[in-house]
Amino acid sequence: MSDDSPGPAESETQSRTNRLDSQTRQGTPYTESQVIMPTVKVVAPFAFTYGLFVTFHGGGSPGGGFQGGAIMAAVVFMIAFAFGIEATREWLANTVIVALAVGGTLVFAGIGLVTIARGGAFLQYELLPVPLAEIDRVTYGMEAVEILGIAAIVSGVLMGLFFVLASGFAQENDDSDAGDTVATDGGER
Amino acid sequence: MTGATLLATTGPEITAIEASLLVFVVITAIVTALARDVLAAVIVFGAYSLGMAALYTFYRAPDVAMTEAAISAGVTTILLLLTLAKTSRIDHEIAFESVNLPAAGAVGFLFVGLLLTMADIPAVGSPDAPVWSNADVTQWYIAETYAETGVENTVMAVLAAFRGFDTFGEAVVVFGAGVAALIVLHREVFA
Repeated sequence: MSDDSPGPAESETQSRTNRLDSQTRQGTPYTESQVIMPTVKVVAPFAFTYGLFVTFHGGGSPGGGFQGGAIMAAVVFMIAFAFGIEATREWLANTVIVALAVGGTLVFAGIGLVTIARGGAFLQYELLPVPLAEIDRVTYGMEAVEILGIAAIVSGVLMGLFFVLASGFAQENDDSDAGDTVATDGGER
Repeated sequence: MTGATLLATTGPEITAIEASLLVFVVITAIVTALARDVLAAVIVFGAYSLGMAALYTFYRAPDVAMTEAAISAGVTTILLLLTLAKTSRIDHEIAFESVNLPAAGAVGFLFVGLLLTMADIPAVGSPDAPVWSNADVTQWYIAETYAETGVENTVMAVLAAFRGFDTFGEAVVVFGAGVAALIVLHREVFA
């Protein structure tokens, strides 16, 4: 977020403080910037592709589901900083975030439990019921855990933490004097 | 191996880039600890994480470097900034906290104590380092990973296959962190 208020030192500090305190649109400060928006438009597709590469190519190069999921979530953060958190929140439905986090956990647990059900240990990939060679069952089982499990959980939870931190306490929306409460809390620091 | 011979063997191996990265990391760490302005501390902390990520790359740990860059430098900084934006900013007259002398003394003693152990730590990249030269763990994974799992990245094979149950626990912890944030903030939906 750029500081677009020129002037003497004192008034600049004053306006900056006000902007940080502004409670417009559920308290997430947003400054439309002609520099950040085009930059994010150019960078975001490449960053997202890199996140996919790190996730899907984790078996042959550094990386994996955790790092790739974090990079893909960071792309959403970039979009939110450029175009506003509330706009991004509306664009990215809650269902998507919950489906990623819950679905990833269920896939990971499911793969582990299927191999137990077939008489093996947790995540004993060679017992997976897929028509592949044994070594391929291990490789693709691991890839499934990394891509459908870990990457989904990490990207979903990180996006969720971002949006839920941006909106803060649920009471703030119900309170009419939410701005005063937040300002007082900050002042005690 | 004494400290003097260790310095003699590793001295020429520290490149100028590594040395400057080490200095950068130490300076940013101290500034993070002493800065009065929280916004400044968060930004310098992000720079510290980026420096650590570059250092990990130099020490041949690209998986750790990627995690440090994505999670510490990227996501954590953004989440801290987001939290900070919801507070009001205090303008401080002075830039740095005054140093608490007892705390600095304790840290100094710890620092000297850790320095004394340096003589017994094998040099970076040494083939005799215990973590590298043991046949039962490290060398076994390096030799058997491809035959057992069909992937070339040993780190991923350890995480997803050999120690898969640990990773499942970690993944559930991440999931739990999301649920805990919802509970703490009295919310029922993420977005």
